[in-house]
This record gives sequence, structure tokens and C-alpha cells, in this order.
Amino acid sequence: MFDERLALLGGALDAMYEVISFSEGSEPDWERMAHVFLPDARLTRITPEAVDSYDLASFRTMASEMLEKGVYTAFHEAEVARKADVCGAVAHVLSAYETKTRPGATTCLSRGVNSVQLLWDRGRWRVLSLFWDETPDGQKVDVAATFANGVRHGQR
Amino acid sequence: MVSASPVRSTMSPDRGQDVVYRIISEARARGTTVRTAGRYTGRTIEIEGSVLRNFGGCSYMGLDRRPELTDGAAAALREYGTQLSVSRVYLQCGLYETLEAKLQQMTGRPVLVTPSTTLGHLAALPVLVREGDAVLIDQFAHASLHAATAAVRNAPVRLVRHSRMDRLEEALADLAPRHAHIWLVVDGLYSMFGDFAPFEALSRLLDRWPQLRLYIDDAHGTGWLGTHGRGGALMHLGHRREVVVALSLNKSFAAAGGALAVPDETTKNRIRLCGGPMIFSGPIQPPMLGAAVASTEVHLHPSHAQAQAELLSRIDYALECADAAGVPLATHRTPIFFVPCDSTDEMNDRARALHRDGFWVCPSAFPAVPINRPGIRFTVTMHNEREDIEALVAALARCMAS
Repeated sequence: MFDERLALLGGALDAMYEVISFSEGSEPDWERMAHVFLPDARLTRITPEAVDSYDLASFRTMASEMLEKGVYTAFHEAEVARKADVCGAVAHVLSAYETKTRPGATTCLSRGVNSVQLLWDRGRWRVLSLFWDETPDGQKVDVAATFANGVRHGQR
Repeated sequence: MVSASPVRSTMSPDRGQDVVYRIISEARARGTTVRTAGRYTGRTIEIEGSVLRNFGGCSYMGLDRRPELTDGAAAALREYGTQLSVSRVYLQCGLYETLEAKLQQMTGRPVLVTPSTTLGHLAALPVLVREGDAVLIDQFAHASLHAATAAVRNAPVRLVRHSRMDRLEEALADLAPRHAHIWLVVDGLYSMFGDFAPFEALSRLLDRWPQLRLYIDDAHGTGWLGTHGRGGALMHLGHRREVVVALSLNKSFAAAGGALAVPDETTKNRIRLCGGPMIFSGPIQPPMLGAAVASTEVHLHPSHAQAQAELLSRIDYALECADAAGVPLATHRTPIFFVPCDSTDEMNDRARALHRDGFWVCPSAFPAVPINRPGIRFTVTMHNEREDIEALVAALARCMAS
């Protein structure tokens, strides 16, 4: 059972990155997001200006306003490395990410680590908390050192 | 150790200002923004000790060093002094009447000169939009238009995605049953990515929606495009009474101030007498009115069309050079070019490399463009010779390959 849950963790994280990413002229897949995240999920970010904490509805409101204002017109974020601990129905993942202007970009707009808590919910993992740091300190990630014993995906 | 400040609303104006301050301060620290210019010849500009070929300005027709304009400014300076410090609601310099008459010849419409294009928006939009109306504004419309629509207090204002006609149709269908007029506020030529408003599609929209009104900021289209330089908006939509166009007397026009090309004298007088900055802001200084009058004479002269054709040929030459060198550029046929970069670091590296190679260009990141679309903005003007354009494109190709 443990191996099965561990094997399914990668798919849940892939789904998380897929729903928050979107191409030009489009927007995050809000319907799928409600499936990938638990209804009580929190999304928390640290920025140089403040700490923001959202539930799914307020995150959608914030993201939609940024889209309407043209702050972002597309968003491509993908995992580059991962360290995961699974204990029963609880998973805690440190997931190093890169944000790019387009999937094939050679350099990235930003990189950092997502701290993700997932709950095993009726045969699948769902995201309970997504927490990340957008400050300069949070972007200085030594992926090789931090994820020495984790799963590496290379530069995507 | 991260020390986070207390939670504040993501959308608060203070928070937005903090973000902009941080981003521009970081760019300033890297030496790519908030710089100081020295001697300017048009073709070259001295920046902090380096003489660079100028690909960063908006003087598209290269009129800012023309003797007609500098002589016009000098003559007005001698005649009227440095200023007539009184509100135009009381008294205006006589050059205003001359300028507005000549701008009417240029545009084929009544024209009201304003202290700047931004103050023109602030004067016009709160007057044009009446109680019972609604406002739609393109998300990429110039910041001055967003500021002016924020000053509209008697009507709801809604953002629409950039040049998305499907979204516009949806918004019009939603608003039309409840509003007398719906003002759509757009740029004629967008200043960062160099794309035009979809004029033909907007014209069809005007046909289908009788309540629709257009307010177009054509600051970047003025001078280099259209008969006598009236710009793309008036070229395509100048015959429509539902359209108001704001022009710039800076940029390609190379003087100072703004101008509102309105459908009739009644509208002009209404904005003249009720528009806040027309009453409470200072006028354009006489020397620059003199330069503006001289610029209208350049625009009305038959040779202006040949100069416009020459600029277009230089734009085409830049596009050809870029295509041959494999440099990806915005494909619009305008003087504004944009080279997308994958990150702000890459953008800054390229801007610094171009500076070292002797070129001034504008690295462009948020808030001037969306966070995910940083790049190098450069312009092609009548100041740039073909050899300058060739050299710039070669330098761009080099720094993109490295």
C-alpha cells in the first residue's frame, strides 16, 4: 500500500503544477484545481511585501484580478526536484520549481521551493497546503544540495 | 532566515506601490533604469559618459533637431517669454488658436490642445462619460488612461483582455441593456509591443452596437502615420462621430502637450470649459507652443508624406535585417520593436551587452509589460541610418547567441 501511495504522489504533484500553469490567452484550470486540491486547502506565499494566505476561492479572486490587469498573461511552472516523506495518509513534499515564460525557455523567471502537504483521500492524493517563498532568500535554492537524496527531473 | 512583514491585502494600492518600488529599485541598482542623459544629437545620446546610438526614443520622425522647430521655439520665446502663467480659462497665449487651427487642418476635426496627453485624458474622460454610461478599458491601455478612467466617478469601469474581440462582445452584450453609452478606452498603437488596436474589427463593432463609443489614445501613432501624420486611429475611424482620439504633441511631433481630436465643436467646448486640467493645470509654455506650430507646418507640407515613406522603409529594413539574422521581433510594421527574453536576468544581460556595443535600448519588465513577457524594446526613427540599424541587429544577434 505504501509503495502504491508513493507511486501516485508524482502524479498528484504533476497535476498541481498543471492546474496552476496556463498558456497565453488562457487561465488556470479552476475546475480541475478544485479536484486536485482539497476543499479546505490553503495557499500561502511569502513576498518581500507581505505574507498572503488564501483559500481556493480567494486565490482564484487574486489570480483573476492579476490576469484582468495583465500582470501575467501566461504562467508555466514545473517541478525540477523533489524530496518526499509519506506517513500513512500524510505526505509532505519539498518540490523545487522553475517558473518560465514558456515551457522551452532556456532561463527561468524565478525558482524556489514549494512546500506541499497532501492528504490521501479515498484512493488519491489531494493538496491540503501549498506554501512558497517569493523573497530573494526563498529564490536562492541550491537544488543539488537540498535535494541530494530526492527525485531529480532536470531542467524543464 | 526570512522575516516577513505583516499580512496586508494583496490588492491594496499601497501594496501595489511597494511592489513597483521594489522592482524599479532593483533595476536601478543593476544600472538599467533611472539613468541620466547628456548631449543628444538625435542619432546619438550620451548616457553617463558613453556616446550611444539612440534606439530608445520615440521621436519617430526625427523632428526634434529640425531647425524649423528650434527656430519656432526661439521666435516664440522672444515674443512671449518663458511662460504665460495664467489658467487658460482666463487667458491663453495667442499661439493656441494658431496651433488648434493647424491641427484641425491636419486631422480634419475640431481639436483641443491640452497641457499633455495624460492631462488631456484626465480632462476629457470625466466629461465625456456621463451618468448612466459604462466604461470598458483594454488591460494594456496606457497607464495614463487607467488613471483617467479611475477619475470617472459616475460610471462603472471594467477591464477587458487585450484586443480580445470575443471578450468585448460579451461585455457589450452584458452592459448594453443597462447603459446609455459604453465607452471603450484603448490605445491606437500600443507602446510596448508595437501592435495596433484592431481598427477594422472596432469599426464593425461600432456598426453593430449603436451605444458604443471609442476613446483612443494614439500618442504613438501621431506624426509618422496617416495623412499629415494624423495617426492610425483617425486614418481608420476619423469619419466616425462616435470616436474621440487623443494625440501627442511630444514623441514624433517633437514639441509639447496633447491634443484631442473630437467629433464637433460642442464636445470641444464642453471639455475646454469643464475638463479639470483645462481649468486648474498650467498651460504649455510659449516656446513649446512655437515649436508645436512649426511642427504642424512640417506635417502639413507635402514633403511629410515622403518622410513618412522613408521611415516605413527603415522599419522594413530593420525587419529584413532581423529576419536574415534570425532575431525574433514583433512582426507589426511600426517603429516599435520588441525582442522577447526568457527572464529579466537575460533581459538585463542583453541590455548591458548592447550598451557595451554602443547602443541605447530600453529593457522592459513589469510593470511596463506583464511579468511573463520581459524583453528589449527598441525603436527605429528617422534618426537611425541604415548602417545603425544593421549594426544594432548584428549586436542583438551576437548577444542572443552568447
